[in-house]
Amino acid sequence: MAAVSQSFKTELLGAIPSLRAFAVSLTQNADKADDLVQETLVKAWDKHESFQPGTNLKAWLFTILRNEFYSQMRKRGREVQDSDGIMTARLAVHPAQHGQLDLKDFRGALEQLPEDQREAIILIGASGFSYEEAAEICGCAVGTIKSRVSRARARLQDILKISGEDEYGPDAISAQVTGSNAA
Amino acid sequence: MKEMSKNSTTGAMGRHRNGGGNPLGPNSEIARKLKQYYDELVSDQVPDRFAQLLSQLEKAEPAEKKD
Repeated sequence: MAAVSQSFKTELLGAIPSLRAFAVSLTQNADKADDLVQETLVKAWDKHESFQPGTNLKAWLFTILRNEFYSQMRKRGREVQDSDGIMTARLAVHPAQHGQLDLKDFRGALEQLPEDQREAIILIGASGFSYEEAAEICGCAVGTIKSRVSRARARLQDILKISGEDEYGPDAISAQVTGSNAA
Repeated sequence: MKEMSKNSTTGAMGRHRNGGGNPLGPNSEIARKLKQYYDELVSDQVPDRFAQLLSQLEKAEPAEKKD
């Protein structure tokens, strides 16, 4: 097998912060996330020859990480995720006040999404991938990603009790909260 | 990564945008929170173990075969 090039190694290093962020988003657990990143780096190193130079290394790495995550989940069976963090966060969710969401509430809401929706909204809304790239990473159709993103978004709005924020802005929320002056 | 002391919300890696606008809506509270959540994760300090791991992998690699 050909030696791993220096530039590959450098790019690998550079991708670690993103990989960790994605791994935490998937696992919802910092330790598991770092183990997952470690597995990903080892796998990427071993199969570096299958990476096509000039294509998106980050997308390639995300694909490896995601596959690793799901294969580990299948192996272990679904264990209950990190107990304390989640439950407290879940309890903490309450209606947004003054249109300002607490990040902790948001995190709690995100944890309640099914994995497929969570990863879709993260890839598109946070990691900066296109729908096409996200579809490739997840091994599904572009339309599937689009519908997962929109379901994720609707679910988050529902959990966080934000309704129609784009159309009406924060005023609609405060109007809802006071619930009085209906036209 | 629970502590959110760092206020670097730029998050170097995670953001080459896919052309126009945020798919979740530019003014969306959800889009903003999602970014905030993720950027905080991205800007978390990377533990040394990863750089060490790569060095180990490099050492373990057979040094010949430069085709």
